[in-house]
Formats: sequence, C-alpha cells, structure tokens
Amino acid sequence: MKGVKRKVNNTAGRGIILRRMSQIIFFLVFLVLFLKTDYTGSDQLSGAVNLLFRLDPFLAACVMLGMQAVIVVMLPALAVLLISLFFGRGFCGWFCPMGTLLDFFSKILPNKGKKIATYFPNFPLYLLIFSIIGSVFGIAFSGFVDPFSILVRGMAQAIYPAFNTLTVNFFTFTYQEMPGFVNWVTEPVYDILKHWVLPSQQKYFHLAYLSLLTLVVVFLLEGIQRRFFCRNICPLGAMLSLVAQRGSMVGVGGSEACGVCQICHKSCRIGAIDSDRTIDMAACNLCLECVVKCPREIISFSFGRQKRTSGVVSFSRRRFLGAALTGMMLPSVKKIEPIILNPEPQLIRPPGAITEKDFLQRCVRCAECVQVCIGNALQPAFLQAGFDGMFSPMLVARTGYCEFNCTLCGQVCPTGAIRELTQKDKWQVKIGHAWFDKNSCLPYAKGIPCMVCEEHCPTSEKAIRFRLVQMIGSENQPVTVKQPYIVDELCIGCGICEFKCPIPGKSAIYLTSAGEHRNPEAALPVAKVGLYGS
Amino acid sequence: MNRRQFVKDVLLWTAGLSIGVPCIDMSVISARSAVPLLGVATGGNYALLVSKALESIGGTSQFVNNGDKVVIKPNMGWDRSPEQGANTHPLVMKALAELALDAGASKVRVFDYTCNEKRRCYANSGIIDALRSIGDKRVSWEHIDHRKFVPVDIKKGKSLKRWEIYKEALTADCYINVPVAKHHGLSRLSLGLKNSMGIIGGNRGKLHHDLGQQLADLATVVQPQLTIIDATRMLLRNGPQGGRESDVKVANTVIASADPVASDAYATTLFGLQPGDIDSTVAAYNMGLGEMDLERMDIITAQV
Repeated sequence: MKGVKRKVNNTAGRGIILRRMSQIIFFLVFLVLFLKTDYTGSDQLSGAVNLLFRLDPFLAACVMLGMQAVIVVMLPALAVLLISLFFGRGFCGWFCPMGTLLDFFSKILPNKGKKIATYFPNFPLYLLIFSIIGSVFGIAFSGFVDPFSILVRGMAQAIYPAFNTLTVNFFTFTYQEMPGFVNWVTEPVYDILKHWVLPSQQKYFHLAYLSLLTLVVVFLLEGIQRRFFCRNICPLGAMLSLVAQRGSMVGVGGSEACGVCQICHKSCRIGAIDSDRTIDMAACNLCLECVVKCPREIISFSFGRQKRTSGVVSFSRRRFLGAALTGMMLPSVKKIEPIILNPEPQLIRPPGAITEKDFLQRCVRCAECVQVCIGNALQPAFLQAGFDGMFSPMLVARTGYCEFNCTLCGQVCPTGAIRELTQKDKWQVKIGHAWFDKNSCLPYAKGIPCMVCEEHCPTSEKAIRFRLVQMIGSENQPVTVKQPYIVDELCIGCGICEFKCPIPGKSAIYLTSAGEHRNPEAALPVAKVGLYGS
Repeated sequence: MNRRQFVKDVLLWTAGLSIGVPCIDMSVISARSAVPLLGVATGGNYALLVSKALESIGGTSQFVNNGDKVVIKPNMGWDRSPEQGANTHPLVMKALAELALDAGASKVRVFDYTCNEKRRCYANSGIIDALRSIGDKRVSWEHIDHRKFVPVDIKKGKSLKRWEIYKEALTADCYINVPVAKHHGLSRLSLGLKNSMGIIGGNRGKLHHDLGQQLADLATVVQPQLTIIDATRMLLRNGPQGGRESDVKVANTVIASADPVASDAYATTLFGLQPGDIDSTVAAYNMGLGEMDLERMDIITAQV
C-alpha cells in the first residue's frame, strides 16, 4: 500500500469539519448562556438561560418520576431522545459541551497506552437505574453524576469567580504599578472584559475546591481513556444509548474481508468498535473519525435496522436488581439523619423553595440559581441538608444577602424546586428569621448607638425598629440608646442585616430558618396563643 | 519611547500613587467668612427648579468653568423607584448634567457606592435612563471601581482620622453633591453630609458609631463646590430606603448652595425640625465648615 496516495473520503472529511464546528458553536452557545445567567437590567430574564438543563432527559426522568409530576420546562428533553432515535448518541459527539471539553482535553493530555476497551461499560446504566429508582424512593442522586450539573457547578462555583479574581488582580496591578502608557492599553481591555465577560462582582463560594475538583477529575480521567466519563460514568449517555440501540442509525463497520489493520477499532474515541470491527450503535457518537481513517473506505452510516448486539446496554437481571435495590434501600439511610427530626437552623433556602423533602427531590444541583444570584447569597450546601443535599443552594447571609426586589433564582430553576415568584409575592415570602445576639450587638452590649441593620432593612414598613432604652454603658455611665428589635410578622429573612452588620467576624444579627414559609412546623411562637403552657 | 519619557511616565504614575497614600489634604481654608447664599426654588417643573435655584446663587458658571471635569454625585444607593423618594430624582440629575454641559464641562461623571446591588440601583433609580436621554458623550456613569479608593488622612478629624475615599471624587474640578432629603433612623435625616458616604470605601457600617462627628470629619476632606438638595420628594418615614409612596411627601423643592452646612440646615426645616437637631450639621458648624444659623444666611426663594 505504500506509495499509493490514499484518497481522503471527502464526504466524511467534511462531516468531521461539520461536527467540530457544531461542537464549537454549541460550546460557545453554552458559554454565552452561562454568562447571560445574570441580571441584565430588567427584573425578568429574557431567554432560556437554563436551556442545557431543559434538554437533559436523564435529569428530566429522575425529577419527573421522582415527583410523579410533569415539568413542562423540561419537556424539550424529549427532543434529545428523539434525536437519539435517529442519530444514536450523536448528541454526545456533536452537541454536549462536556463532551467537547473532553475532546479538547484528550488532545492536550498524553495519549499513550490508553486502553481501548471501555473499563466499566455497564456502570453508566447502573447509575441510570439507581438514580431513577432512587428518585422514586426519595433520594436525589442525579445531580452528582449528570454531566451538565458537574460542568455548570464547576464553572459557577470555581472557575468563573476564580477567573475574575485573576483578571481583576492583573488589572489592579497594571493600574497601580504600571506607568500611564501601559494603562492606555490595559484599561480599555479591562473595560471590554468587564462589559462582556467578567461578572459584575467578585463572588465567594463554599465548596469552591470541591466543585472544581469534581470537574477536574472528569477532565483528568481523559488521560486514562478517551471519553472516559462518557463511556464509564455518564448516565445521560446511558439513557441515550438505550434509545440509540433501538434507533434507526446503522453503522456498517469492517468485515473479515477488510484486512486486519484495526485502525477503526483503535481510534474510536468511545470504544464503539470492537476488534471484529462491528460498530455498536449504542455507543457510537457519530464522530466520523473511523470513516475518514479507514484505508479501504468501507465504513459508512445509514438509516436501517440494527442487529441488536450492544455490549453497552445489555444488563443481566441480577445487575438490574442490584441497581434497583440500591436505589430503594439508600433512602432509608437518608431517613435516619438527624435533620429529619430537627431541620438545620442554618439551612435557609432561596425564596420560592418548595417544602424541603420535595425541594431535595427536584433540585438537580445545577447551580443555575447560585450563578444568577446577584447578591452572592446562595451558596452550595455542604452537609447542612444531609449527605445527599450537598451542592443544593442555601442562603449564607454573611457572604451575601437576598436582594429584596430580585426574583431571578426562581426564574432560572429548571425543575421548579424554586418556584418563580412575582415581585409582590417575593416581598412577602419569609425564608427565615433574624435574631439579635445581644452579647455583641453594640446598643445592647455596650450602649453604643448603631443602626446599620435598621437602615438596610428593606421591607417598606421596617422589620427592624428601635426602642429607646436607658442602660449602663460599657464605662459604667448611664446612657440612653436606641436598641433595635425585630417585628416577627414583617421580617422576611433576606439577611441584609446580617450581611451589613459592622461587627467583625460573627454578625450580631443572624438568620435562622425559623419561621420559614414552606414549613408550618417552623412557625415562630406567638405570645398571645400561650403555646408554652402560660 | 526614550528614557526621559519613561522616567516622566514613572514619575507621573508614582505621583498618582503617593498622592493616593498619605498626603491628600483638602483642609478648609476659610469658612463662615461671608454670609452664605442659599437658593431655594419650588414648583412642578424640576428642570426649571434646578436652574432657578442655581440662578439665585450666581448661576452654574460660578461653579463650572469651561473645560472642567465635573462629578455629580447623587444618592442612588437603593433599589427603589423615583416615586419612592429614596434616591435623587432622575429629572434633577438630568437638569443638573445639562446645566454643567452648558457651562462648558468637558466631562460629567456620575457614580455612587450603592447599598443594594449596584446595577439594580443605577437602573431602577431612573438616573441612568435620564442621563442617557441627554444623548451627550461627555456625560458618563460608572460603577464603583475598587481600585480607585485611596486612603486619605483626615487631619482635622476628631473622630475619623483616616479613610478610603474615591479618587475620582477628590480629583474632580467641580464636585457637585446632590443628596435627596429623607428620613434616616439614626441621624434623623440623610442630607448632604450623609450623602458623602457614597464615595467612601471600607466597612462603612463602622462610621455609624459616632455618625454626626464622623460625617463632619469627612466633610473636611470631601468638599463639594456645590450642594444641590433634592427635596422634590421627601421620604418622611422608614428611611433611608423607604419603599412606600405613602411615606413620601411631594415637596417640589430644590435647594442650592456652596455651603454644605447651610444647605443641610435649611433642608432640615422642611421636615419641621431645627438645624440643631441634626448631629452632623452641629458638628460641621462647630468645626467651621459652614453656617447653620438660618438668620445668618442669604436665602433667596423663588417660585417656578
């Protein structure tokens, strides 16, 4: 064969270019949507910035089956299943932003000695079954393994804010340490970045490292095997495989007659071609590399009937039972966590959050609300909501407060875990309650006047008011001082008081989830009723 | 670039930095020397109100020279609409910006270090839309850039000795302070001196411990050439951010003065209080920063 110039398969070559273009375009769309997940000058977001999570049939299945409810905004996910019926896992090869990133990383990571056969071909299916059955029985696991959740979480809670720090530090350096002529160049660049790319403020996140780590691990696994995540973990991929296997796209691979080069087998990024050169359409993501690389140009794809020989989604009954039983059993462990008895007082959910049990079921840990929160108030929970509540959003008022007129988190939540509130409803919805620490609050502890909490309290009839009190000041002198107090019915728990409290370290006014609207058990005691045996 | 140019640039730049660090001193040279002029205009046309009040004290050209870089500092610290009276009225801002342009300002900049989320405040105060409607490239607005806070020694300060202040406000050729007159829980009223808190950095909540004196101390280094108090709408209760129109009194009044204490003192009376009721006014008066006795002011009122 040497010396014979190999003809490039033009159609397939063009196909690869198209595929790459599609990957780049959809990745850019994803980035733009990510950046647009922000306040844009109007109370209402325009456009579906949470599009990615509306297109995810895995999350849709888990949430809808878990809640036994139809969630309309997630229905476009059906379209992805439909595409799979005709184009197999083309979604993974052509659209998925995670897949695009992985293809990029496999290019820059060393490429030697990678195993060709998929390590755990059945594991994605196992995760899929476990996640869905688990959802039905009350444990929400999907968000931990869904590629989009992992991706957006890592971006929102680590990469994007860290990128901002880096950029701001650089331009602070040039601004403060560099002569004017450098600034003539750098300042306009900074202005452009601020306008188009950078967040409007620096955000700070709990679990920043953990959010980054999960994403980075997915990237690094690419060093072990190409598309490691897609082949060995991704339950969304498994779901598409199930459809693809019954779909109408057929790949004609090599045969005994084609020779023994096995280039297709070795070069398939997703392990869809075995050593006999049959193409498993349940795995194939239509990247078209094999078509181009085949020296005899005998690989092709067309619509037809498949021979059902997939090794990816064949599953023994025993394994199925194993996955299903795990999904049924684990929720009972969840039920012995103490937060079932006594809700964590620091666990303050976003305004519009539904009851805690349903909230955890619906929340897919996508971090859309965290990303859109203009106050940096929403943080990923660690263990406050139980082990499986990790990465679900909670308000941590010392890092940020809930902006009174803002309703964005409810607008971006793709699952309805956070209901979309009208501004008028938002003003009323009590998500927690503020309490004074009289040991550190200046007017109480030292007789020093201070009113920062009252000044910032946003309810039109202020929930923080003053009493004029005579007391002994910290130097034993009699003083008359205004002491603030909370009006229970008016406080909505936005947390601006805790955020702005000038006491260093621990705030002298702090929020708890007491009184939150979604939990009648948490209602604040009312003196008149004589709840406590008076 | 040659070596000389480089050295020049470096010097220029280091000068900027060293000015920033220890030695900005804009202490009061003389105050209370003459009887302060105060222009007060009432009426329904806000653009006319502003120009009339300014006319009474000599017109814009008294304050803005041809080619000046002007900073107009409103109160737009809250995510509230103009009707709610928590922020400076957009029409007052617009009129003022136009007057400054007419007087030959080469640049009119607007900013405030907001309490609520900055973009919401800028948008919902209506001020940005109003400025945009002027359609003049010399008018610009910016969000606070934290790199531009410089520590300033407050040499005359009794309670406040040093604080971070926004460089753009200190280096303007003409700095115009445009507070909205409103109720405030601790200082009773939020007026001109209080509005200067919108150009300082750091943990601003700490200032509230001895607020009156600290505002007066701040006024020794933040010295507007002109104060325009917007009392077109007065928030009477639940200040400083309000939220209910029932707490707002439509007073249709604008006060203009070069004396920051006199304008605050006069505005206080609109609320039925005496100048002496406001700690910052008294403290500033005692430090010689301006007049608080209404009898010793030349008050020119006009009906528009």
